[in-house]
Amino acid sequence: MGLTLERPAQAPGPAASRPSSGSGRGSRARWVWGWAYSGILSVLLTLTVLLGYLVTGIASGTVDWAALFTSSTWSPGTLAFGGLAMIYGSAAVCVLALSLAVPVGWAAAVALSEYLPPRLAKPLRLSIELLAAVPSIVYGLIGIMVIRPFVADLGDVPGGDSLLAAGIVLAVMIMPTIVAVSVDALAAVPGRYRETAYSLGLTRREVVRSAVLPQARSGMRAGVLLGLARALGEAIAVFMVIGRADGRLPESSGDIFSSLVRPGQTLTTKLAGPEPMLAGTSGPYFAALCGLGIILLALVAVATVWGTRGSTGRAARAPRARRSSAWLRTPKDRLTAVVRLGALLLPGALLVGMLGILLARGGAALDPAFWFSPSEGAAGGGIRDQILGTLLLLATTALIALPLGYGAGVMIGTRASARTARVLETLTVAIGGTPTILLGLAGYVLFCTTMGWGRSWLAGAVVLVPVVVPVVALTTAGRIRSMPAEITEAAFALGLTTSQYVRSVVIPYTWPATLTGLLLGLARAAGETAPLIFTATVFFGAPALPTGIVNAPVQALPTHIFTLSQDSGAPEAIAQAWGSALVLVLITAGLLSLAVLLRNRFEGARRWTT
Amino acid sequence: MSTEIRRRAPRFTGRRVRQGASAASAALLLAAALTGCAGSANAGSDAIQASGSTTVAPVASDAAEALKAKGLNITVATQGGSAGGISQLGTGQIDIALSSKPLSDKDHKAYPDADFVTTQIGADAVGVIITREVADGGVKGLSKAQVAGLFEGKITNWKEVGGPDLQVFVYDKEPGRGTREVLDKFIYGKDEPPAPPKSANYAIVGGNLETRNKLKSTRGSVAPLSTGFIDGHPELVAVPLEGVAPTLANVASGTYPMTRPLYMITNGKPKGTVKQYIDHILSPEGQKLLPKHGYLTREQMGL
Repeated sequence: MGLTLERPAQAPGPAASRPSSGSGRGSRARWVWGWAYSGILSVLLTLTVLLGYLVTGIASGTVDWAALFTSSTWSPGTLAFGGLAMIYGSAAVCVLALSLAVPVGWAAAVALSEYLPPRLAKPLRLSIELLAAVPSIVYGLIGIMVIRPFVADLGDVPGGDSLLAAGIVLAVMIMPTIVAVSVDALAAVPGRYRETAYSLGLTRREVVRSAVLPQARSGMRAGVLLGLARALGEAIAVFMVIGRADGRLPESSGDIFSSLVRPGQTLTTKLAGPEPMLAGTSGPYFAALCGLGIILLALVAVATVWGTRGSTGRAARAPRARRSSAWLRTPKDRLTAVVRLGALLLPGALLVGMLGILLARGGAALDPAFWFSPSEGAAGGGIRDQILGTLLLLATTALIALPLGYGAGVMIGTRASARTARVLETLTVAIGGTPTILLGLAGYVLFCTTMGWGRSWLAGAVVLVPVVVPVVALTTAGRIRSMPAEITEAAFALGLTTSQYVRSVVIPYTWPATLTGLLLGLARAAGETAPLIFTATVFFGAPALPTGIVNAPVQALPTHIFTLSQDSGAPEAIAQAWGSALVLVLITAGLLSLAVLLRNRFEGARRWTT
Repeated sequence: MSTEIRRRAPRFTGRRVRQGASAASAALLLAAALTGCAGSANAGSDAIQASGSTTVAPVASDAAEALKAKGLNITVATQGGSAGGISQLGTGQIDIALSSKPLSDKDHKAYPDADFVTTQIGADAVGVIITREVADGGVKGLSKAQVAGLFEGKITNWKEVGGPDLQVFVYDKEPGRGTREVLDKFIYGKDEPPAPPKSANYAIVGGNLETRNKLKSTRGSVAPLSTGFIDGHPELVAVPLEGVAPTLANVASGTYPMTRPLYMITNGKPKGTVKQYIDHILSPEGQKLLPKHGYLTREQMGL
């Protein structure tokens, strides 16, 4: 925050005269800081474990950094480790995804928040959040079915596995994240600003541009960062449509466009492939792979710093004066409205198409027996155990991640100076952008091997925590920043200590955004495949519910879908994969709907600015 | 299920959240500390742990399912493929390694204390698969040199091997996959295969199903794939190699060059429940599972 909230220690507060009971309105509420610090600590701890794993890996063999950055030949057999093509692939795919998703996502968010009546906007917003609930593995399956042929026709190339296909899949995947977070940021802009602007005679387009967007900018930027983090970190969906061909680089600037419709490889897909399992746990091969991991983390950090650069942390600064020409004001206004509402159609069409494919393919899920009967063999029977396992993992992850993420968010939003906040935010986004495959590998080394847990449901849940925490923390912090300044000023004028201010003002104000964050985070965690394969699940034979922690694997829907869709020849396996996908989407959708209902009640209950 | 969630949801609301928060964090730390102290103590789950090749896993799972009724608990994992299974067996983490490739000298060197015993449960023929369009266009067979040229990106048009005027698109298996090792052995023998070509028409695939889907959707494509996976897919053809087609007779007699055994590997001779499990797979009932997943039985291989 721009202004520090430190007050003189001897300031008389109403709490000083009363005995502190540890809770309730009158107390000093010191527990707030313990909680907030442990939240931030969890972020730092994750980072330490990750870096520890990677640095140990690099130290276990000599890494030829020059070759890693400049050569595009990757051939473990001849000990040639060049990563340039993967770096190029990661950059190209992310730029493609963002350039497709950000304009549409922002326009759709503005349309939802500023153009539609609430009665219409709420269900639409829920549907867009449902898109976020579709697990990445399903995007991968649909990408193979729909997007590859599209790219093949577009670029007149065989197959269609390409950087462009990966970029499109990612764009579809990150759009809901961008929309949901941006809508939250827009909704937090007090209505007074809009009313004032309208009363000056501005058109809707001008109101949005000059009164609303400047207030919501930092929150909307956080949405893009989360989207970018997700794009950089996604492995499985990209894995299925990128072609995974090492060593291709555009030879000239004219070749860049043709390289986009050709197979490529990103850093993430390289690490999510079989090679980390083949490289052992030391030596030059393993070290080179860890080097790629470090490069990836560094890229996430660079993108984050670049993305947050210039944000002042104070959303409530005076809007910049814009010289808007009076020429064609009304037509411009109408055109903008059409464009923004049109942008809403795209996520809608995606949702309908996605559901259509899921329903057509995953018909098995419509039979209740499929939900409540256990599997038989590799691909028969129902998926009761996988459902139970997934719910167990999600519930455990939510229980751990919500307090930690919220604490971290409160810390970033209130306690830290502007500079510290930016550093913490960068770290948090970096965690969120960590390829989950790295989290899985680090968790595997830490829990399953070093601590001797073997395959364990708890290890899986803990590995998923860093997926959820940053989302909760960033949405919370964004919401805190967009709090109207007068609320804060009033609270301190009443003599509240900062911890009391957090307890009685910040927490009630930020709950809705935090819930959104938790939902988005869980939706993402529900679809995570890679980390669970390494830590928590087995292909077959895990019991429905684990009895202990050590050597207690579970079965989960995403890993079940992945193994079925990759490696089975039996026709019933395909039906079961799609059926499982539909069940996973339905479960997450149910959770989301429930939580959205809760959130809406909260939003209704908190009329801060009327 | 949903009621459980509904009960839990209100816990995130209101004032109880802070107790929940500290309780959850405390519980987590406590759990981590306790299990950390427990070190590598094994809870002694009596389940048999099998892990390895994704090619063998479906068969292993179906067999485990059949034995569930008899009270045998078997978990099947597929992390790291054949190579991963062998290394986990060597370090004593699992009871049975599933492998779609024979043990190499490297494996024996890496785990000198392990007494690996291999039991062959069936076999798998790997074909060089091309599309019907190319096969009908004149590609009736390929020599070893031609296969090498295709996969090294030197042959870029099917014209060069007597086929139609159509670009070649190569789908190669990712490293570590048994299928790719079979192909490498056929082309290069004991030599190290070269780095993948930098041609534009070259992509990597993983699982067998993914390979089949991509072959079917790409004109002029070629890939190595278990022949069992193209049964019932007339648009794909397993091309004869060196004049030998991958027919059952040729595979069983060993004249078809790309055949691989499917193994269950144990440390020492199988004993007790592990033996019961492997015996079940070798029994006529268990052998029926192999054709179901596209593989050949021991009987078909003349074992």
